[in-house]
Amino acid sequence: MSTARAFARGIDSIERIFEFTSDYFARSAIDPRLLPTVDLVVEELFTNMVKYGTLPGSATEIRIAMEAVEGGVEVELVDHGVDEFDMTEAPDVDTTRPIEEREAGGLGLHLIRRLVDSWHYEYSEARRESRITFTKTLAGIPAPTRRKTTGVT
Amino acid sequence: MLAIDFGTQGTVVMSGRLDAAQSPKAQEFLDGVQGAVTLDCTRLEYISSLGLGVLLKTQKRLLGKGGKLRLAGVSPHLQDIFVYSGFDRIFEIETAPQP
Repeated sequence: MSTARAFARGIDSIERIFEFTSDYFARSAIDPRLLPTVDLVVEELFTNMVKYGTLPGSATEIRIAMEAVEGGVEVELVDHGVDEFDMTEAPDVDTTRPIEEREAGGLGLHLIRRLVDSWHYEYSEARRESRITFTKTLAGIPAPTRRKTTGVT
Repeated sequence: MLAIDFGTQGTVVMSGRLDAAQSPKAQEFLDGVQGAVTLDCTRLEYISSLGLGVLLKTQKRLLGKGGKLRLAGVSPHLQDIFVYSGFDRIFEIETAPQP
């Protein structure tokens, strides 16, 4: 059983997204210990799409889909009318720097890389569509991969 | 939702979820604290990168004036997030007792 819903492109959607994820976890009997991490990754990806993908012609909504998998969940976020931006290739933050040199920027994607089992990005130039998918299970190991499509799939 | 208020003995108690939508509220409150402050995270269920940014900005400001922000009652999930973010290097962190 999978589920999907579109959310208005804006930070105000965060509360409704959390209701959506917790409801699906409960209905699908997914281990609730995974929920804070899944919420964190979804929030970071969604807010990045809001921050960097809001362009003339971009969709007013971002679609989030979830599907229970063995030991966890797979989540997909899809954004239309946007430029290509592969979040999986964003550089890590140097967390060893002294506090005077630390900035908050970039921490979200840095965290995702350490929290998910895997994540990959696809971009369709024909549809100007960004699609990012991640998997989180209790037994997972981070392993970023990337794919790119250039037409309708 | 997020609740933030003063507790006993100069602590600040934060409960709920420090997410992107709630970070401005937390920042506004923490911009008003001074000196050595303990943030009681016992009932803080969740933090995202914007919430981490609030704590980092507050720590920078307090350290610059001879104070500091200390994190107490930190759950294993939050501890993971703090360690991955390198916050264990720039904050004194006290984890919550395990049940």
